[in-house]
Amino acid sequence: MAQEREPVIQVKNLYKIYRVGQNKVRALNGVNLKIYKGEFCSIVGTSGSGKSTMLNMLAGLEKPTKGEIIVGGEHLERMNENQLVRFRREHVGFIFQSFNLLGTMNAKENVALPLTFRGVSKKVRMDKADKMLDLVGLPKHKTHRPNEMSGGQQQRVGVARALVVDPEIIFADEPTGNLDSNTSAEVMELMKKIVREQNQTLVMVTHDNHLASFADRIFHIIDGKIVKIEDNRKNGEVRTS
Amino acid sequence: MSVQDLLKMSLSSLWRRKLRTVLTILGVIIGTASIVVMISLGLGLKKASMDQIEQYGGLTTITVYANEGGYMYYGGGVAVSSDSESDSSEPVRIDDAAIEQFSKIEHVEVASPVLSTWILLKQGVWENSASLRGMSREALEKMDIKVAEGSLPEEGGELQFFYGNAVITEFYNSKTGENPFYNSYDWENPETIQTADVDLMNTPMFVIFDTDAYYNSQYGGTDENGAPIPAPKKYMVPACGLMAGSPAEWGENANSILCDVEALKAQLKKIFKGKAIPGQPTNKSGKPYKEIYYNQAYIRVDDMNYVTEVQDQIKALGFQAESNVEWMNQVQEQSKSIQAALGGIGAVSLFVAAIGIANTMMMSIYERTKEIGVIKVLGCDMSAIRNMFLAEAGFIGLIGGAVGLMLSFGISAVINVVASKTYASGISYIPAYLVMMALVFAVIIGMLAGLFPALRAMRLSPLAAIRNE
Repeated sequence: MAQEREPVIQVKNLYKIYRVGQNKVRALNGVNLKIYKGEFCSIVGTSGSGKSTMLNMLAGLEKPTKGEIIVGGEHLERMNENQLVRFRREHVGFIFQSFNLLGTMNAKENVALPLTFRGVSKKVRMDKADKMLDLVGLPKHKTHRPNEMSGGQQQRVGVARALVVDPEIIFADEPTGNLDSNTSAEVMELMKKIVREQNQTLVMVTHDNHLASFADRIFHIIDGKIVKIEDNRKNGEVRTS
Repeated sequence: MSVQDLLKMSLSSLWRRKLRTVLTILGVIIGTASIVVMISLGLGLKKASMDQIEQYGGLTTITVYANEGGYMYYGGGVAVSSDSESDSSEPVRIDDAAIEQFSKIEHVEVASPVLSTWILLKQGVWENSASLRGMSREALEKMDIKVAEGSLPEEGGELQFFYGNAVITEFYNSKTGENPFYNSYDWENPETIQTADVDLMNTPMFVIFDTDAYYNSQYGGTDENGAPIPAPKKYMVPACGLMAGSPAEWGENANSILCDVEALKAQLKKIFKGKAIPGQPTNKSGKPYKEIYYNQAYIRVDDMNYVTEVQDQIKALGFQAESNVEWMNQVQEQSKSIQAALGGIGAVSLFVAAIGIANTMMMSIYERTKEIGVIKVLGCDMSAIRNMFLAEAGFIGLIGGAVGLMLSFGISAVINVVASKTYASGISYIPAYLVMMALVFAVIIGMLAGLFPALRAMRLSPLAAIRNE
């Protein structure tokens, strides 16, 4: 049973309240969730539902108003910015919607970049980046600059960059938002395959129900609350929180 | 993140915006060059002044004068009031015992008596009223006198003259009263200068020691009894040597004739038997003393740092003592203020360059907001981001400083060529420490200018990166 394993991510009673002029906007309104090792989870919701805020908080990019976020046994809400940077460097990989590759570097250098921040020597990080690019199916584009590659290829580089540090959790924010549907499916399959093979934990945010269905579990979020958790592995089991 | 990776990233982002980087660096180049050239001018002026002091007797020499109880006598008998603190009742004169005393003071290298008198040189129609200085052989040897011809005067024995290189310029035609040197002197074309047709070394030179009597006899003067004064005796004095240097060159003793002090003493005693020697002190009734007193003492100290100390000790003995230390201190004070003023002018342009660096860095941060956010999300340390931007600004300073220094050397060379007629040794002088200081200063200025932008980059929100647009 999934519940018996130690959760990698545990969120307890999480609130995020923005002030817009005189009004308070509850982006997250008391969220509780647990994500376990080796799971591919997606958080799905419409624009403004609070799904991106959720992801930002799990990745330590935003501070919660109230509540606890425990990732790998550490309380993110108690960390300062320096500690959060270190946390991301050591535990998290990130896949962006707009790829966010550095234009001055080629594919291999982009993949090796997070290792640079860890102080890994050039030879070791280039070897690792090399292997990662093979893994995501870009053996022929290692020395290409981002502007010499298609969107799908760029996102494969993005995936490789997230994986290269061997993170405990990978966050993906609308990873196929800038890709056409065929390429989207390819990238989704790639991510799914790698998560399976490497036993990684992946949390993906999307507004697309179809893309969300690639995941093992799907969290539906509406107005800052998780309204439904689907489990694809045990077909048909639906719980409401 | 390793230092090497950090510097590499900084350099590559500078390289990415070549034109802007070059323009910013250009500002630093001009700033550095102007500050270095300005300071080099100040240093060059100081050096020129110091060289001049060196020419006027060096930085380690002290001249001691007798203390004539309220007045002191120079060679010609000019009276100058002495320090009020000195004991005015008892005159303190320079004799052999005093010289002995001086030479025993610590750090004194040479202590020599100086007996000087005005003499008249005559050769054919040419006449010259010159200063004759008798000094000890030891002092003459240690004064670094450059000999062009012959040798320094021998100790004791017959009186011999060693002519300074500018003595020839003072000869005038006694019939026309004209001096060929002053008539032909051209400041800009020293090669056209002419001097009197006098052979100092090989043709006999007639010397009149009793110049008062000579002039009196020339212009029909009479003694107290009304009888006309007879022309004094002329003596033939051989030359032993000539100082090196062109007639127009100024140096210590260039205008003097040097001789051995003992020989001069003997000669003067012989000439002025029973009469007062000009320039010598007299007792209350106007009669000369038996002994010949020296006009001055020449003292050389082994290190310029001890000059003031030795000078004070001599003053404590009751003598008047002068050295170039006060002059040198004054020159140093002056050159400090000149340097501050010139350096300030240069600093303004470096300040403008610093604003340029800050502006470039701010622009760079606006452009790279997304990139900074991405690397922050990927786990780049805040301090590493700050250091990266600081390194970029530092590189601008370093490159600008280095190229600016090269430019400074060029400008300095041009200035020196242009000013070579006035200042032979150069007016712009860039010492090694100025090079080092300018480089360090340029880097520090660059990093200071980059500090605020770097802190701003460090505090940028990583959310900016993943905001979808």
